[in-house]
Amino acid sequence: MVDLDASALTTTELNRKLRELAAQGTEHIHILNPQARHNIAVGLLDTCSITIEGSVGYYAASLMDGPQVTINGNAGWALGENLMKGKVVLTRNAGASLASSMRGGEVFVAGNAGARAGIGMKGGSLVIGGDAGFMTGFMMQRGTIIIGGDVGEGVGDSMYEGTIYVGGEIGSLGSDAKIEEASESELIQVWETMERHGIHDRKKFTKIVSAKKLYHFDSLERLEKRAV
Amino acid sequence: MVLGSSHIWATHHIEDIHAKAELGRYRIRGFSTFQKVTHFDDLVFLSTGLTRFPLEGYKEKCNTQVVLGARYASEPLVIDTPIYVTGMSYGALSRNAKVALGKAASLVGTATCTGDGGMLQDERDASNKLIYQVLPSRYGFDPHHLMGANAAEIVVGQGAKPGTGGLLMGVKVADNIAEMRELPLGIDQRSPTRHPDWLGPDDLSIKIEQIREATEGRLPISVKLGACRVADDVKLAAKAGADTIVIDSMVAGTGASAEILLDHSGIPTVPAIVQAREALRELGLYGQVSLVASGGIRNGADVAKALALGADAVAIGIAALIALNCNKEIPGTNFEDEIGVKAGYCNRCHTGLCPVGIATQDPVLEARLDPDEGAERVANFINSMTMELALLTRSLGKGDVRSLEPEDMAALTIEASAMAQIPLAGTNKVFGM
Ligand SMILES: Cc1cc2nc3c(=O)[nH]c(=O)nc-3n(C[C@H](O)[C@H](O)[C@H](O)COP(=O)(O)O)c2cc1C
Ligand code: SF4
Repeated sequence: MVDLDASALTTTELNRKLRELAAQGTEHIHILNPQARHNIAVGLLDTCSITIEGSVGYYAASLMDGPQVTINGNAGWALGENLMKGKVVLTRNAGASLASSMRGGEVFVAGNAGARAGIGMKGGSLVIGGDAGFMTGFMMQRGTIIIGGDVGEGVGDSMYEGTIYVGGEIGSLGSDAKIEEASESELIQVWETMERHGIHDRKKFTKIVSAKKLYHFDSLERLEKRAV
Repeated sequence: MVLGSSHIWATHHIEDIHAKAELGRYRIRGFSTFQKVTHFDDLVFLSTGLTRFPLEGYKEKCNTQVVLGARYASEPLVIDTPIYVTGMSYGALSRNAKVALGKAASLVGTATCTGDGGMLQDERDASNKLIYQVLPSRYGFDPHHLMGANAAEIVVGQGAKPGTGGLLMGVKVADNIAEMRELPLGIDQRSPTRHPDWLGPDDLSIKIEQIREATEGRLPISVKLGACRVADDVKLAAKAGADTIVIDSMVAGTGASAEILLDHSGIPTVPAIVQAREALRELGLYGQVSLVASGGIRNGADVAKALALGADAVAIGIAALIALNCNKEIPGTNFEDEIGVKAGYCNRCHTGLCPVGIATQDPVLEARLDPDEGAERVANFINSMTMELALLTRSLGKGDVRSLEPEDMAALTIEASAMAQIPLAGTNKVFGM
């Protein structure tokens, strides 16, 4: 295990150090005093395990492929953005655009998330213990979002595929999103996922999927039709 | 008078209403605007006479190499000609077209750019210098590809469709395209226009910092803007930390756009360059932030005029496609049968029916484009333009394309004078000042 005092390093130095340590196969890296700075733990492509003691700014643990990052604090916008593989755990609340465009791996936020959580999500699993804000799952393409608490307005707007489960109240459905009955096995999977994160309240989750009415233009010109 | 002579109810308006009365939605097409706008043809060069003397036009040394993005990047983009191939998506274009463009750019020592839908490995392999786009859709976005690129380009907007995202009709969302984009097969893909992770210019500066962190400060980072409120947008992009600003005008090409946007939004290339230059000058960043112009670059004169107005380089789209045989009848094609119009009149890239294998995902059509032969044609074309540029530069008595300046030109129309901020030919008057 290696301790890094972020306050003694610039963000660039810190990220360089993380990259070096991960490449050397360091098992665990412990970051102290992150000072809520932006862009901490960006672009790490080797597997490693990192714990950050304190809150982080925008884009923490983003553009990653492999690492396991735990943040004991709050996070700003775009935590876990474009995650390919690996895991991000946040013990408190996340800002907007949580896990935006994530393509794989797992992001777990114990507290609440701001607007646009899981926006443009392309795969993997996003789990929010508390509430999520408006436009959650906007234009989501694939993957699963589980929200333990309530979700705001416009959930699942223009989603293509993927599934959103909501444990609490739904502000409103976005365009082309619809509620579908969750099967027993799906509910068990959701409960088990929550239990892995220490949430044992077996709620009746609401399942939201795409109504698929916006997949195609309603009409085509003669030549466009010829092509189909 | 017959109806055909009305300017208000011109025949294309009548056709348009008939089509929409059937269709019930906005119309979509490829290529670029039909509006008649002030363009480079409205400017001319004032070559040497007795006040200054020329360089030998055909051979004397003339530098055409330019460096883009040296503001912060430790490895700026060095290209041997100030002309590079713009971002055109694999999806809008076929694999053979993307590979041909990559090879062509490598042959002439310049760069090419990915486009929406992510990076094709074959394109990376073909391109010595590859710009990797960061688009609102983030289709196929992969940090490995970003780190392996030679530059990154954050797309805020496109001149052909400012304020909207990518558009790809279902016929082109074929197996491989759908898989790369992680979308359902065959959907009419209408991509997001807002980035998922940032909204305003203050967030953009953090996004730029993120990309810089991920690439260890090596890559130049450009911001591509559709030319609308150019002065403000350029200032905000520069302040957000862009190394390069790409200003893409209303005449810029597209694989598919709503026709109404093509014709009715954005401003032309000439005033866009001038406004961008002046905005950077106001910030004291002209010369530090590189400026790239795109939209309607067709020959070496257009390049020279763009540079003289203040651009450091230009990017070409449609011109490169034409060099690949767009709108040309070749053995095996029959434009009228296959895409419904004669060669020379085609703007139907969005249908996926491209007879010459460029803007299609149909393997039979794609096979009509040989990537090596195509690369050679595009390389020849870029070389020709570079030679034309050097010829004009020498005729102006200059040995470096970077020395071209507004004073080298005159405007042929009052509009061009006002938009380019240079005197009307035969007068000392700059209109609109
Ligand atoms: C077939 C085609 C596909 C395009 N795809 C993209 C794209 O994916 N991303 C983008 O930023 N611009 C795209 N563009 C716009 C070009 O990058 C560029 O702005 C434009 O082509 C420049 O104008 P020109 O074609 O007149 O040279 C595309 C253009 C064409 C013709
Ligand atoms: S020939 Fe092909 S590339 Fe050219 S305009 Fe027609 S469809 Fe587009």
